[in-house]
Amino acid sequence: MAAEISVSVQVQGFDPGAEYTGLRSGNTADGATAMFVGNVRDFSPAAAGQHKEVGVLELEHYPGMAESALTQIAERAAARWPLGRIRIIHRYGRLAAGDEIVFVGTTSAHRQASLDACSFIMDFLKSRAPFWKRELDSDGGSGDWVEARSSDEDALKKW
Amino acid sequence: MIKVLFFAGLRERLACDSLELAGEGVETLDGVRHKLGQQSAEWAAALADERLQMALNQELACADAAVKDGDEVAFFPPVTGG
Repeated sequence: MAAEISVSVQVQGFDPGAEYTGLRSGNTADGATAMFVGNVRDFSPAAAGQHKEVGVLELEHYPGMAESALTQIAERAAARWPLGRIRIIHRYGRLAAGDEIVFVGTTSAHRQASLDACSFIMDFLKSRAPFWKRELDSDGGSGDWVEARSSDEDALKKW
Repeated sequence: MIKVLFFAGLRERLACDSLELAGEGVETLDGVRHKLGQQSAEWAAALADERLQMALNQELACADAAVKDGDEVAFFPPVTGG
């Protein structure tokens, strides 16, 4: 049976506990649930090993494409592993250190499919979903755009 | 017309988030990029960045993807979500 896919791109926060409940509610076929939550860190690696404190992050996205890219990534995962449910949430707008940015949850009959699919979805989301982070300066200045890391692109090779 | 969108650092560098481009003489995404670059040296330099990613009708696409009238095209720096 095809996996149930649910994707949200939103400003507002989310409750990982409520998302777990959503993945499990009425779902007695799946014995495994894997979840990943990404949060805003309070520092970023800067030049010469100096760590820069980050107060606020701003996330820009491509409306429409962001939702369809996440849905396509979920569909690829569903085609590859026997999954029951897939839930992806990605926030945009202004976020503070500690805030949740992204949620990926997967369920399957046995653990390996949900664990692998959760990791696969995050790896592709990092390099294929149209979101961009900017670190705002503590003085309210517009700050710098975060540079893409080649390690994120490399992470796709294992799939 | 072809709708062209720019995001993140590229949008700021060009001081432009979207525009409409006449489709005559434009056959591919790379053709769109080339035509936009004719506006000024600054646009040519910004769009020459090899790391830029491109989307055609909201799907990631390669530079040689065919473009037609009514399409939505986007250029943006490598994505950094998650």
